[in-house]
Amino acid sequence: MRLYEFEGIDLFRREGIPVPDYALVTSPQEAREKAQEIGLPVMIKAQVLTGGRWLAGGVQTTQSLEQVERTASRILGSSIRGLPVKQVMVAQKMETAREYYLGVTIDGYQGTPVAILSTAGGVSIEGVARAHPELVVSRHVPAIKGLLPDAQQMAREAGLRGEELVGVATILRNLYGVFCKYDALVAEINPLVRTIQGTYLALDAKVEIDDSSLYRHPELQIDLADRIANPLERKGREIGVTYVELDGDIAIIASGAGLGMATMDIVSRRLRPANFLETGGAISAELLYNVMDLVLQKEGIRAVFINVYGGINPIHEGAKGVVRYMQEHEVTIPVVAKALGNHQEETWKIFEKGGVHVVTEVSTEKGIEQLAQLLEGKA
Amino acid sequence: MSILLNRETKVLVQGITGRVGRAQTKWMLDYGTNVVAGVTPGKGGEEVEGVPVFDTVKEAVAQRGADAAVFFVPPPAVKESAIKTIDAGIGIIVVVTEHIPVHDVMEIREYADERGAWLIGPTSPGIITPGEAKMGILPGNMFTPGRIGVISRSGTLSYEVSINLAIAGLGQSTVVGIGADPVVFTNVADILELFEEDPMTDIVVIVGEVGGVQEENAALFIDRWMDKPVVVYIAGHNAPEGKRMGHAGAIIRGSQGTPQSKIAALREVGVDVAKYPADVVGLVQRHLMPP
Repeated sequence: MRLYEFEGIDLFRREGIPVPDYALVTSPQEAREKAQEIGLPVMIKAQVLTGGRWLAGGVQTTQSLEQVERTASRILGSSIRGLPVKQVMVAQKMETAREYYLGVTIDGYQGTPVAILSTAGGVSIEGVARAHPELVVSRHVPAIKGLLPDAQQMAREAGLRGEELVGVATILRNLYGVFCKYDALVAEINPLVRTIQGTYLALDAKVEIDDSSLYRHPELQIDLADRIANPLERKGREIGVTYVELDGDIAIIASGAGLGMATMDIVSRRLRPANFLETGGAISAELLYNVMDLVLQKEGIRAVFINVYGGINPIHEGAKGVVRYMQEHEVTIPVVAKALGNHQEETWKIFEKGGVHVVTEVSTEKGIEQLAQLLEGKA
Repeated sequence: MSILLNRETKVLVQGITGRVGRAQTKWMLDYGTNVVAGVTPGKGGEEVEGVPVFDTVKEAVAQRGADAAVFFVPPPAVKESAIKTIDAGIGIIVVVTEHIPVHDVMEIREYADERGAWLIGPTSPGIITPGEAKMGILPGNMFTPGRIGVISRSGTLSYEVSINLAIAGLGQSTVVGIGADPVVFTNVADILELFEEDPMTDIVVIVGEVGGVQEENAALFIDRWMDKPVVVYIAGHNAPEGKRMGHAGAIIRGSQGTPQSKIAALREVGVDVAKYPADVVGLVQRHLMPP
């Protein structure tokens, strides 16, 4: 889960990375007050959980209190990539002498952390790496935790010397500390700046925490469901499934992620999927009851396609939940189920009795064909 | 022969006394798997489905000769259990557990690599050598003995592809679910190497999906090292950017992880890529029965 910039900045401060003075505000008036306290000029920065804030005009430098109020008012009323801006950061603006990029992320293929340092900060690091690979110094770091031993050597390779070498390397080491301590997938400062006074400040924070590690980070106080903007996707998280809203009208329920994606691919040949939904390995009657309720909340659903395998999942239990939902809510649109694996015969019986169209053929392609025929009134 | 697992493999079940561990032990035994021991700290001396339970892996290895392990252990306990299992000398470990912190996965992988242990997972459906044995949750009735090796990032999709193959008379030598977390213990290319060397495998099917660079690296390996034909299906042509599609690793970021980049890399080295899962069958048949 990605953190808001201000949350990342707070983590940085806690772990010894210098950050500018800032305040978090929700109204233009408050922005003006805080700007006065911090001292002009200030940056006004939209706090949304997406990239592309600069391009969307969500980050502005302001020189006067009137401009602060006006800019905060405009940004607070706007949306960036569909996300409404509810809070902005008012941050001290410093005169900078130089910008750097510092990052620690994961090389998924090699399975180790990677530390990255560049003297080309403030722009997209992917772009720099393509156009000027010589400006990017990166190192794979052993996964079994230790100090990042190479930070000073990396700074040296990036052309830094003297006090600058030590200053930037220290911050990279502290950033690696943040990455390890908080189970981050990404911890990035872009840009880190050197002010004309010779001090360093992290002007931005991009931190993404591993969702699977949140159980051991109560200090972060992250409520995952809280951060999901789409109400159906949030509901999915609350009931324990992954739901992604799409723009079609055929609801999909799958018992695995790969199967769900393949089902989406196949449905898209002739029809349009309304959603991706993956139950994971904890199917029960109650879960599938809730899942039916979730997928049918979207307007205009024409049919439901259920694609489940009984490996770890008791699919016969799941079938009971589907059927109970259909009875209680008098579902009349076609519900088609392909269910294979452990307990498959029992599952078919429960579905059939409950008015679900059961596909006993093994390929999802055949199942979707039958669903299409039902919709066309041919079956 | 087969890879990683056969009917002789002496399987230990980590977390055998839990709800899932018990149920899956029964399915594994019913399939013919040689389950010799279970481990749950504090439950030593009990039995599950006639399988003796030990407090430690060390005892299970000493008394029952276990040489492979399958994990049904909750996420916070996996790192310690994995290290103990590796230290006890077990060389093949399948981790079914979902939602293990990525930092733990990286540490376990490094620990295993330094000691030469094969770990599969996490979030793995398991390994099955049809007609012989299975470790994990794969439902046995989806698989048939034969000469096709299957490597899958998805559990359920490995079942779908295998049963489609089986109906066309194409059985499998071994099916390996490597899992789909952002970091997996063993990459697709490592399993490709085992199948390339396995005399019981004629052709390999990879079931991939969006996210990461597994398929791109598999393409490099195939080009350089493989003689056996490979057929691939990649799930998620319609996955929207930046959304995690159920698997923690199934996320497209910018141009990385897209199905287009994977398909291009594979086609460039002459690998057939199926558009839909059932199309895998036809592509496999084309290699086995040249016109």
